[in-house]
Amino acid sequence: MPPLTGELHLSYGFLPKKSESSIVTLDIGGQLFQTTRQTLDQAGSKSLLSMLSDPSTYPSGVRFVDRDPEIFSVLLSLLRTGYLPSKAKDFDLQDLVFEAQFYGLENLLVSSLSNPSQFDALNLEKSLILSLGGRDPPSAIATTTYGSVHVAHGSKITSFDWSLRRKSTILTRFNAVDSILALSPSVAAVGATDISGLQILDLDKGFVRETLNWDNATKSSSTVQAIGSSPEFLFTSFESGRRNSSSILVFDLQGSFRPVAEIGHSEIYGADLDSAIPATKLKWVSGRNLLMASGSHSGPSGVIGNIKLWDIRSANVAWEVKEQVDCFSDVTVSDDLSAIFKVGVNSGEVFFADIRKLNVDNPWICLGGGRMGIKGKKEGAGCKIESHGNQVFCSKGGDMELWSEVLIGTKTNEDGLDERVFRRNLMGRIKDMGGSKITNLAFGGNKMVVTRKDQQSVEGFIGQPLKLHRSDGKLKRLLLHNSLLTIIDASQYTGAEAQVLEEKAIKDSLNGAATLWETRQNQVFSPLKDSRGSPKGHACGHFQSHNP
Amino acid sequence: MEAIQDDRIKLNVGGKFFETTISTIQAGGPDSLLSALSTRASGSCYDDPLFIDRDPEIFSVLLSLLRSNRLPASATRFFSKQELVDEALYYGVESHLRKAMTPPPFLGIDASLVSSIHPAADGIPSSFTASVGEGSVWIAHGGQISSYDWNLTHSDTLRTHLEDITSIRRVWSEVAAVGSHTAPGLHFYDFFRACRVGSVQWTDPTDPRIYKAPVSAITDSPTSVFASFECKHKENCVLSIDKSTLQVVSEIGRQAGGAAKTMVPGKLTWLQDPGVLVGSAVSSGAFGFAGYIRLWDPRSGEVVWETVEPGSGRSSRFGDALADVDVDEEESALFKVCSKSGDVGVADLRGLGDDPWVYLEDKNPSWMNSGAGARGGSSVIHCYRKQVFVGREDGLEVWSHVKEAEEEVEEKEGGERKRNWVSEGGMYGRNYVDKVEDAKKGIIKKIEGGGERLFVSREGVEGIEVWETSHSSAAISILDL
Repeated sequence: MPPLTGELHLSYGFLPKKSESSIVTLDIGGQLFQTTRQTLDQAGSKSLLSMLSDPSTYPSGVRFVDRDPEIFSVLLSLLRTGYLPSKAKDFDLQDLVFEAQFYGLENLLVSSLSNPSQFDALNLEKSLILSLGGRDPPSAIATTTYGSVHVAHGSKITSFDWSLRRKSTILTRFNAVDSILALSPSVAAVGATDISGLQILDLDKGFVRETLNWDNATKSSSTVQAIGSSPEFLFTSFESGRRNSSSILVFDLQGSFRPVAEIGHSEIYGADLDSAIPATKLKWVSGRNLLMASGSHSGPSGVIGNIKLWDIRSANVAWEVKEQVDCFSDVTVSDDLSAIFKVGVNSGEVFFADIRKLNVDNPWICLGGGRMGIKGKKEGAGCKIESHGNQVFCSKGGDMELWSEVLIGTKTNEDGLDERVFRRNLMGRIKDMGGSKITNLAFGGNKMVVTRKDQQSVEGFIGQPLKLHRSDGKLKRLLLHNSLLTIIDASQYTGAEAQVLEEKAIKDSLNGAATLWETRQNQVFSPLKDSRGSPKGHACGHFQSHNP
Repeated sequence: MEAIQDDRIKLNVGGKFFETTISTIQAGGPDSLLSALSTRASGSCYDDPLFIDRDPEIFSVLLSLLRSNRLPASATRFFSKQELVDEALYYGVESHLRKAMTPPPFLGIDASLVSSIHPAADGIPSSFTASVGEGSVWIAHGGQISSYDWNLTHSDTLRTHLEDITSIRRVWSEVAAVGSHTAPGLHFYDFFRACRVGSVQWTDPTDPRIYKAPVSAITDSPTSVFASFECKHKENCVLSIDKSTLQVVSEIGRQAGGAAKTMVPGKLTWLQDPGVLVGSAVSSGAFGFAGYIRLWDPRSGEVVWETVEPGSGRSSRFGDALADVDVDEEESALFKVCSKSGDVGVADLRGLGDDPWVYLEDKNPSWMNSGAGARGGSSVIHCYRKQVFVGREDGLEVWSHVKEAEEEVEEKEGGERKRNWVSEGGMYGRNYVDKVEDAKKGIIKKIEGGGERLFVSREGVEGIEVWETSHSSAAISILDL
């Protein structure tokens, strides 16, 4: 048996004596790597790597780990710099994730590839399509902070991990899921407007952890109209099965989903339908500790609705507006912008109300310059509005408008607040315009996900998927690279189609937009041309080795 | 930590050096080349690496597989499946590779069409068998049988003397039992020796009319093969054939034919647990569908239970005869699809009575709008992995259990599971497996599960569809395209 430790004398000579102790030599699958304990400790105290660097368990010598050395070299660069090196593009993202899990580095990988701080609304591009099994188009969508996506389609929920590379599907008891909220990458709160109860689902194993109900006065079922959450609480808007009463229940998220409060309980008396419109959207305003609840009702006299800001501790309404004239089609609230945004159902225009000066007669200010009343009716029907970061996203049919606040900082009103200026962009390229109506949009990690009417797929809008060393001025796209390979693997392209792909790729590489094509083009595309290939186009390419 | 061990070993594969542990190498199994080499060279190999004259790049993929029990996702990008399999065979780690390349458990709610198998000639499959072997399939097309291994790679095609094989059953790993509507007898073909190894005819010394009877359905148990034969004058029976001698052991359920309830069984299924043979026949005429389901005890030849549809007025669904039936062995239940309503009915095999059927309900509003399920005429039904697959004119659907809360599940698995199809009928959810475009390709003729795959053949369509569940999201990039 060969001796494990202390036998390999490496030339430490040029290093000062005191730092010698912090140098760690690792033998990963036959290749030697030298790094410092500080670098390995970046992985976190419980990871395998920081254990390896611990001098008390391994006093000296070389630590051997029986894993692939090439992927390790990539992960070591990640530890050293916080970025993935450009050669990471030679590996499949799934392999990197799996290997990072082995070393306990997945968090680092997540934060370098799908960090919410990398979200850049002005640079989002439609870049991925995730298809869903079966025939049900997505009805609701939920995301986590780091970009896991849960999609409800029909009675099923498909979950994609943060890298959007792995998926799993479970079956729920609902005929169709109408609202879903992600509590973690593997747990979601799910409800429907036709079946009673809010279910807390374990999406890994597919079972119901908990069913939460509202005991309403009529003892009928309680259907879920909307779900929202704050870091501490889960909010659920219930409506009774007879549709004559509604309430918002507050559950404790830290404990065992214990109901802690009931706010906004309302019953319909007589013909006054407006008195108990259930909330169909719940949004937490963390900066102000308020819960925004909104609901609308379409009646003979048009759409009416209300928006309320609840102080959940006192169960009082802090502010309320009744919408009569140009009721919202959708409404959202932004903490960062301190404003409530709505899209008017008649005008189709986007309005905002500054939270800091709500107590005026008409708080709504039209962002688009106010062409109210000129357009026909129901311009805004079905439009969705959401805010993320400093931007507001509003869908109009198949297109997506992006509203950003422009900080000019010169004009000041008498109330001491700047007059606010918002400007609009249409997102995407010309070829992305139109398309089916957008039905859902959500944000997570560095991406936005969108679903469309009757499309059994989810679109991913991703900014710069992989920010490698920006200093070298080249943007390298790991995600792009991987996905293209996936297409070629997964589908049966004809020779002509492959030719088109290849030409595009070469053009791109000439433009310098994606350097990876220069090096990978042969490997990627030659298998398709290779007659020796298997039916799916896998053939022997060159397996490039990357010895450090 | 498993990976940090001191039984290290160095290898030189085709000039590239690898270092790993003996336990990793031996994970391939005691018979593998690698573990044989490692034991022979143990002790001295650290200083003097073992030299193996093979391609180092494929070896690095296989070493990753041994280290992590997972095939790197990039592996299939650089190497064809066949190359990986060949190289794994060389090192003796094929079983490892097979495990890593097996798709995850098949879920009808999350399945996609991964490939289509096309035999080179006579591409329209007349029948296929997938029940034996992990995801492999044998396809009968015209007079040929083509076999595809677990990797769905074509391994062999065998020409039989039959002009048109209409039923096939893989009875051993190398032997298929085949029959044809147009030629008499049941024939056993051995793939390994590429020849016919036996054949069985239905004869009756006392009745000269029993002569040249073709086979209509085949199934097998661990010890016997069952085949239904039908003579020109419609008289029919099921023969029980001993697997080792290929001799007829007994005649089961001989009947005169001529009426719907005495037709030759068009579908036979063996149920191992109670040891009964399930046969069913369906015919359609001007007055709709008619048929029967019959359970025999092959030892006594007695009918254990039978139902004839359209039967007497006892049935709650008179006039809605079965279009197809299948047995779910794991759940011990019969599933049928009705010809008129298209409804799916279930009957508990342990409580069969006059009218044991419970009809599965689906409250999903999206199905009502689509008008799906209205036509059950050309439906086929297949039970696999506790799911029920129904192929209809407008698509392939799956009925699957909705999981309950965790503790309830445990409780049910622990004790004797109380069966109540009435309430459980509501616990089945129906979903489409396929897309609208898939249904337009043709009417589904046969569905069969094998391994973690579902195989589907369509009327008049060349090749067989292979459906798998995948954990890969198959994200399609549309940037710059």
